[in-house]
Amino acid sequence: MTEIAPINTGAVRIEGVVKKHGQTTVLHGIDLAIEPGEFFVLLGPSGSGKTTTLRILAGLEAVNAGHVLMDGVDVTTREPGARDVAMVFQSYALYPHMTVEQNVGFPLKMVGVGRDEMGRAVAGAAAKVGIGHLLQRTPGQLSGGQQQRVALARAIVRQPRLFLLDEPLSNLDAKLRLETRLELRKLQRSLGVTTVYVTHDQEEAMTLADRLAVFMDGRIVQVGTPREIFARPMSVDVAGFIGTPPMNLLAGEWEGHAVSVAGSTLPVAFESATARDVVIGIRPGDLRLADGGLAVRVERVEDLGDSAIVNLKVGAQALKLKTDRLPSLREGDDAFVDFAADRAHLFDAAGGARLA
Amino acid sequence: MNTAAPTPIPRQIALYAIAGIGLAVWAFPVLWGLLTSFKTERDVLAYPPVFVFTPTLANYREVIFGASSIVPNLISSLIVATLATALTMLFAVPAAYAMARLRFPAKRGTGFYVLATQMLPPVGLIIPYYLVLQKIGGLDTYGGLTVIYLTFSLPFAIWLMVSYFEDVPLEMEEAALLDRAGRLRALWHVILPQVRGGIAVTTIFVFLNAWNEFMFAVVLGGNRVRPVTVAMFNFISVEQTQWARLAAGAMLAMAPVILIGLFAQRHIVKGLTVGAVKGGGRR
Repeated sequence: MTEIAPINTGAVRIEGVVKKHGQTTVLHGIDLAIEPGEFFVLLGPSGSGKTTTLRILAGLEAVNAGHVLMDGVDVTTREPGARDVAMVFQSYALYPHMTVEQNVGFPLKMVGVGRDEMGRAVAGAAAKVGIGHLLQRTPGQLSGGQQQRVALARAIVRQPRLFLLDEPLSNLDAKLRLETRLELRKLQRSLGVTTVYVTHDQEEAMTLADRLAVFMDGRIVQVGTPREIFARPMSVDVAGFIGTPPMNLLAGEWEGHAVSVAGSTLPVAFESATARDVVIGIRPGDLRLADGGLAVRVERVEDLGDSAIVNLKVGAQALKLKTDRLPSLREGDDAFVDFAADRAHLFDAAGGARLA
Repeated sequence: MNTAAPTPIPRQIALYAIAGIGLAVWAFPVLWGLLTSFKTERDVLAYPPVFVFTPTLANYREVIFGASSIVPNLISSLIVATLATALTMLFAVPAAYAMARLRFPAKRGTGFYVLATQMLPPVGLIIPYYLVLQKIGGLDTYGGLTVIYLTFSLPFAIWLMVSYFEDVPLEMEEAALLDRAGRLRALWHVILPQVRGGIAVTTIFVFLNAWNEFMFAVVLGGNRVRPVTVAMFNFISVEQTQWARLAAGAMLAMAPVILIGLFAQRHIVKGLTVGAVKGGGRR
């Protein structure tokens, strides 16, 4: 089995890329820099432009403005085949009339690699993803998980400088998805190839990414490590998208060291000299049941076994609290919740930008 | 299908009855022709018709080896139909691929134009075609008749093939492009193998259409190029119609059609239902 050596190329830069489909602008001038060897995730809701960005990297979509650079070379107008990138499609896009061996060997065959060398490379790639025993099957005879591995093998067999993965786990069942996620991370580490990974699943993004970019409405709203983005979301939109369940967001008024929400005054660690309208964000895990603080009404308690989610109402606004212990609360009960003052996130009520 | 509930008996009987009637109506002329081809001219004209008779191969001997042999005409038909089919497929496959996949100016207009050529009544074209071929010396030539056949088989073939190409997932082609195949090799290695069923069906339809064609052949052909559909008329004259020989000739002319039909039955049925289920053309 031939070992595939880690490669120290694969720096990617996107500069001011604009993409339009007819009258609609899909990408409003995005900038991005991805380091060699990095596992970089493009995260966002559907229609936010993340897949379009991936397809632009692949060369499958032309840009209306801006540039794509790989290892310092402008590849904006290069054909997909001339970019030295490999892609795993959401549907896997295996060639149904070829065996697994022919599928995996196809990228090598296209550049005229000899039979012996191809056989070795195919066997090596197949072994890496654990499909060595399936080489003579056709894709139609494989399970979804096996097909996904064949697609992966086809991508790694030619040692590209960049892997592009478009929601590769979305067609797997929940258990297999978790397993494959771990293996994918290990595989990427061992190969050392720069990887750009598209997903709308923020949990997947958090566990896989070295760094991630959050897409919203055709713009990149934040780039950072999963921890940074979780700890310091830079806008209301990001705050509301990251975390399971996502951050609670309540309208309030911030003055001095407190925010007043629905008549209750909540202490925060940051000070505002003048009164201003804000959105205060508190993660469900940071909220705790208390004897005083924010007055709430219990809507529903969801018992998850090892934890519980309590759905609350503050006036008309919904709120979720996550706790390790099943609380002795019932629907319709009145209660109080509070949080550590330094756990509050404050956003501008008008623009949604982070204030503190 | 094996999970479907069994069809109720009365319904089954009705279905078989309807299918039987349909088959009888369709098969009767063919079977009658087959019987006639083994009769003597006297038996043919017997009234009431005889069903028990001494079969003879004389008619076949005559239409194959005799003075009124239709073998040269079968060869004519074969040449024209093969040429027309080969050229049609040569142009139709890339054209259909382009219509299905590429973006080019006036794509909609081109697509409509291809379909519109099918809407013209062929009778209206015979005289213009005759005049054009006469001007360029194409009457009674294989080239002339083949080109005329192309004018209607090509749009038909393109129109049929486009749906097969559209059934191949776009991502598969994109994967091939990323695998450094380039457009032509992606077409050759990845797309064409997946539409080969469609290519087979289209080839058969085009061939059969050309083989069965009569109207253009009778007007634009002549003594040199005389397909079998036209040659059949040798047996019909003012004085008498040689029904038995006509039947024998018809059986010979039909033989390739029936053989192809039997051989490609599975393909054809699959081909006709393609697109009924999304992605059905993939496998």
